[in-house]
Amino acid sequence: MSEYIVEMHNISKSFPGVQALDGVSFTLKAGEVLGLLGENGAGKSTLMKILSGVYTKDEGTIKVLGQPVEHLTPHSAQRLGIAMINQELNLCDHLSVAQNIFLGREIIRRGRLAEREMNAEAARLLDDFQIDIDPETLVGDLPVSKRQLVEISKALAQNAKILIMDEPTSALTAKEIQNLFAIIKRLKKKGCGIVYISHRLEELQHVVDRIMILRDGKYIIDKPFQETNLDEIISYMVGREITEKYPRVETERGQKIFEVRNLNAGRLVKNVSFSLYEGEILGIAGLMGSGRTETLRAIFGADPKESGQIFIHGEEVAISCPEDAIRAGVVLVPEDRGRDGLCTRLSVRENIGLPNLDHIVNRLTVVNHKREQEITEQAVDSFNIRLASEESLAESLSGGNQQKVVIGKWLARDSKVVMFDEPTRGIDVGSKVEIYQIMNELKQRSIGVVFVSSELPEILGISDRILVMADGRITKELNVQEATQDLILHYATQFEKKLDAAEQIEVG
Amino acid sequence: MKNREKRGYIKRILAKRGMGQVITVTIGLIAMVVVFSFLNPFFLTSRNISNLLRQIAPTLITGIGQSYVLITGNIDLSIGSVVGMSCMMSATLMTKGVNPWAAVAITYVAALAMGFLNGQLISKAKLPAFIATLGTMTIARGIAQIVNNNYNTDSIGKAGEGFMNFFYYGKTFGLYNTIWIAFVLWLIFNFILSQTRTGRHLYAVGSNIHAAHLSGVNIPATITKAYLVSAFCSCTVGLITTAISGMGTMDAGTSYELYAVAASVIGGVSTLGGQGILLGTVIGAAIWGVLQNGLQFAGAPVAIRNIVIGVIVIITVLLDIVVRYNKKAGRRQAAAPGTQASV
Repeated sequence: MSEYIVEMHNISKSFPGVQALDGVSFTLKAGEVLGLLGENGAGKSTLMKILSGVYTKDEGTIKVLGQPVEHLTPHSAQRLGIAMINQELNLCDHLSVAQNIFLGREIIRRGRLAEREMNAEAARLLDDFQIDIDPETLVGDLPVSKRQLVEISKALAQNAKILIMDEPTSALTAKEIQNLFAIIKRLKKKGCGIVYISHRLEELQHVVDRIMILRDGKYIIDKPFQETNLDEIISYMVGREITEKYPRVETERGQKIFEVRNLNAGRLVKNVSFSLYEGEILGIAGLMGSGRTETLRAIFGADPKESGQIFIHGEEVAISCPEDAIRAGVVLVPEDRGRDGLCTRLSVRENIGLPNLDHIVNRLTVVNHKREQEITEQAVDSFNIRLASEESLAESLSGGNQQKVVIGKWLARDSKVVMFDEPTRGIDVGSKVEIYQIMNELKQRSIGVVFVSSELPEILGISDRILVMADGRITKELNVQEATQDLILHYATQFEKKLDAAEQIEVG
Repeated sequence: MKNREKRGYIKRILAKRGMGQVITVTIGLIAMVVVFSFLNPFFLTSRNISNLLRQIAPTLITGIGQSYVLITGNIDLSIGSVVGMSCMMSATLMTKGVNPWAAVAITYVAALAMGFLNGQLISKAKLPAFIATLGTMTIARGIAQIVNNNYNTDSIGKAGEGFMNFFYYGKTFGLYNTIWIAFVLWLIFNFILSQTRTGRHLYAVGSNIHAAHLSGVNIPATITKAYLVSAFCSCTVGLITTAISGMGTMDAGTSYELYAVAASVIGGVSTLGGQGILLGTVIGAAIWGVLQNGLQFAGAPVAIRNIVIGVIVIITVLLDIVVRYNKKAGRRQAAAPGTQASV
């Protein structure tokens, strides 16, 4: 039983500007469940995508079932018995459950699809694993949790020897999670190796035999689960060195500018309430999928709200679309600049003018180019945007300068609250510092600043107050003086206790 | 889980993908036929029915091709031009003394080459389908004009009589051959779409191209097959057009690609891909034909006919969107308590 079914040695992979994996080695035994852990961006998904053939490695060797493999593609990985169950679901909504399970491996009898045979086979498989889904239902008609189970069944149907599960429980209900764990235990007995990626640390004790931790694309440690505990795991996951200097400005906390009360919007924004005061920067920390971006988008009106109130200077404002938010003075600097932040094929002048056209057109809505030029020059000067001319296309700028254009377009009007979503992702160190300085300047000008970041050092270095989110809820509010990386991660992994609740029901 | 096996036959048919829309539009079709037969007693005579069916056939055949392409999530704008190209090519060859059946074979090869080009441009060179087929649409129309030096052809004459009878004027078992051609093509392509691996892959590519790729589906081959079917269907209609007038016309088939989209969409084929059945395309083509024929019989001018048909296309698609939106909203609400319960 101790034979390795996967051996990866010295795997390196870089993407433009990022070393995603740096000489990582990885092993998996038959009949074991390995918990692969690490913070956002630690390289877990990248490593597993290399094993399942989605990405190609830059360096290193891979052995599967003792055989060296060189060029892995999704198809050849499947044939080797490797199946990856993705977080983002890979199913065809318009096909039935059975049709999805057999996609690409249809059973053909006398030139025709053997629909009945495939349905029966799928039914047998689903019954066998006690998954309560009719194989003839269209996948598009199933709720998310059932789809996740279909995805898992699809991998099971391929008789995979190596199963990679990326956050398999995030959409499941308590009963379904217990069922999944029962399935995992059966697969273990059959000699399959399972890689279990999860942020839900409290779940690990139910299934995991061994853990392996990655940090910043590097191997940190692997250990039998019995010999460790959650606190130790968290301390291995963080321990990130703080290499950058964070400029901090101290200001007096003033009046309350902005308040969100009981905001609900979908699965990832549940009962979110917080206030924001003059002269402070509010950081929102949390793991991927914790609902940070969704919260900002719901406040901004980019996604529909189910309920909740928003107050600016004590007065309630109704925000149902971005236009309302902008008029109320609440603006968003989105995460994906290229997609959501800028019209990349328009000039810097046009980008800065766009949300401010109401101020720079005359009564016949003719754009006053002189006014537009003026506000653009003002933005370029005050944020130190480096460009050839105001007519340069936004796409020709560096990441940091693009970000400054996005900020500039919002500050050309008197915005009261600026929400930043991962403002420093993918920009160089020098520009990062400039972005921090802009945030500090806003703080001094009594403009409210909310900022979401996955970088814990950055959150700790810049914010005055920190909200931690998990599963769409705020699990903790911390002052920067009391906050540490361990503490933030502790609260960021306070998921809804689905399992404990279920156990209580069983006992009761 | 227990009543899984006990599904009735009728329920099974009703549960089939796209069946709902087919039933709705069939009821609409019957209503139209009833109205038109009241407006004009000659509407339901066997002679008019026979003519009507023959009139529907070209729309149905191009509709089959367009449905294949739409199901993969693409569109074929070159249909009308390939009809024109096939018409001019076959007629030119025949007037030059080539054996009509050899001319038919050569024309099919040329049309299929156009379909292959479409498929490769879209699946390999990753051109948007709209742009790629806009290009081939113009190219095919150009070829239609160039083959006979920018003139319509002369009559294909006595030698072409057998050809004309086969594709249009002849009858078999009391029904026009054109109707039989449409029927046989429908049977074949319906079988391929609903019963074979290729069919399944067409749906998968249109539904989620990423998932299809990761499941081992050959994307370029699948998309190219859809365009080959479309080109084959267009060529067949081109040959029918040649047979009707006994000559080649350079602007034959103009706008047919859009009629084909209308027939498909009325019948429940989604322009977003992944959804639709060829039974729907038959009903869609029939509604198209009945409206044209019935309104003409009722004495409505062309302008009114166009407006009515346009309105009907929009209403059917709108209904489909409203139904689907409500269904989705219902599902979301049903799902919400479940997630709450797990807290």
